[in-house]
Amino acid sequence: MSRDELLTKILAILEDDFEFEHPGLDDNLRDEHGFDSIDAIELLGKIELMLGFSLSRAEKEKAMSIRTINDILDYIEKIQASRQQ
Amino acid sequence: MPRRVVITACSAITPIGYGKETIVNSLRQGKSGVKPLRDDGLLTDHIHSRVFGTVDYPIDYGFTRQYTKTMGPVAFYACRVAGDVLAQSGLDEKFITSGRLGVAFGSTHGSPTVQRNIYKTFFGNLKEEFSSIGAVDYLRSMVHTTAVNITRMFGITGRVIASSTACTTSSQAIGFGYEMVKYGMQDAMLCGGADEYDTTTVAVFDNLLACSVDFNNTPERTPRPFDSNRDGLVVGEGGGAVLLEEYEAAKKRGATILGEVIGFSCNNNGGDLILPNLDGITTTLKLALGDAGITPEDVDLISAHATATKMGDVIEAQAIDAVYGDRPLVTGLKSYMGHCMGTCGVIELTMLLYMMEQEFVAPTLNLDNVDPRCCMLNHVRELVEQRIRIAALENFAFGGVNTCLLIKNGRHLT
Repeated sequence: MSRDELLTKILAILEDDFEFEHPGLDDNLRDEHGFDSIDAIELLGKIELMLGFSLSRAEKEKAMSIRTINDILDYIEKIQASRQQ
Repeated sequence: MPRRVVITACSAITPIGYGKETIVNSLRQGKSGVKPLRDDGLLTDHIHSRVFGTVDYPIDYGFTRQYTKTMGPVAFYACRVAGDVLAQSGLDEKFITSGRLGVAFGSTHGSPTVQRNIYKTFFGNLKEEFSSIGAVDYLRSMVHTTAVNITRMFGITGRVIASSTACTTSSQAIGFGYEMVKYGMQDAMLCGGADEYDTTTVAVFDNLLACSVDFNNTPERTPRPFDSNRDGLVVGEGGGAVLLEEYEAAKKRGATILGEVIGFSCNNNGGDLILPNLDGITTTLKLALGDAGITPEDVDLISAHATATKMGDVIEAQAIDAVYGDRPLVTGLKSYMGHCMGTCGVIELTMLLYMMEQEFVAPTLNLDNVDPRCCMLNHVRELVEQRIRIAALENFAFGGVNTCLLIKNGRHLT
């Protein structure tokens, strides 16, 4: 998926499932949207469904440094790239 | 030096209403909250009992996702009544978050709705390589979900007691909360219980031949505590909370004092986990009187556990007769709403406080012909306008757990 396609899907998830309102791509998710560790785990499950494959434990642990929507997109792009190798 | 413990707020969501006005009106009008059992798409067709103590009115929760993400239906009830009593008490945020306020709150088994969804997901159609169980499902369904969702929503940092002893869940919570304040471990305790709509519980009691089945077409005519034609209990849902405070502090800050907890007892039958036990129940009633330092003659009203099972009511009547004789009034409040399981104790306490304040006693509904084996008591069969000074609240649970709370009217406390 291209970054634009990913962005559209991630925004839909954040708005529909996490009740985000008008999120900015560089908003601090925790400070500005109350997104906590529980939400992060939930989001990873939704990303797995979106990508169609499950993430390894090591891949999931890397997600814990995510702070912004752009970080989420970077994270998914790296996962996709590593899977294509 | 033990301290006196008073009740400064109460709230309940019940099959006969939410809030004092609605509940009192239902009690005064003899209105039942027992309705046809709602279809759950799973067990309903396999259950013989088709009645349920139902909360079927809308409740404006107003909770944001920040909190609801860790809440199953049972925690919605719990957090709503917890918020009510905190607001009603007038305690400020500084005290609420000080660590001197604790929570004693429970449910029969967390959220069965969420647990059921976990199994549906796990055994459902999702491909097994995906993590198909939501990360928050444990937080929503775990047995202490009510207590900790309350602490989370209101920033409470004191002790947490999450009792989970079926029908004595919330009476234990109140009793243990009372002891926390009485002996100085906490200055105040938010106590209560909640249980959500759940057909699993109905199926269990149904299987044990303990559920009402003869009034499926006339739900309001069951349960029938102490009546000759009683045929078992009716499971119900709801939530309730009380705020317990140390007396001197409550008086100093000008809090409204609804009642005083003057005694509590809790014991176990030490044997059979299901059958009611006369010795165990009788001992509980005596232990509560001993804890309060009063005599049976001081008690004006008994709120009996009175589930309307065939043997349970007889054993309870014998225990009341042995300890109190035929002087105190006896009422069975489950006749209005069924047996709300873990929350029955706190709901019945809330109703007792309303009746104490408004100086009436609601009769046991459906008590048309008193079972001769239960007729030695002073049953309330019509509404009585009377001031109650001290009331006993009895609850007994599967597992052989028995509790009794003794409550003094908060008006004119000295």
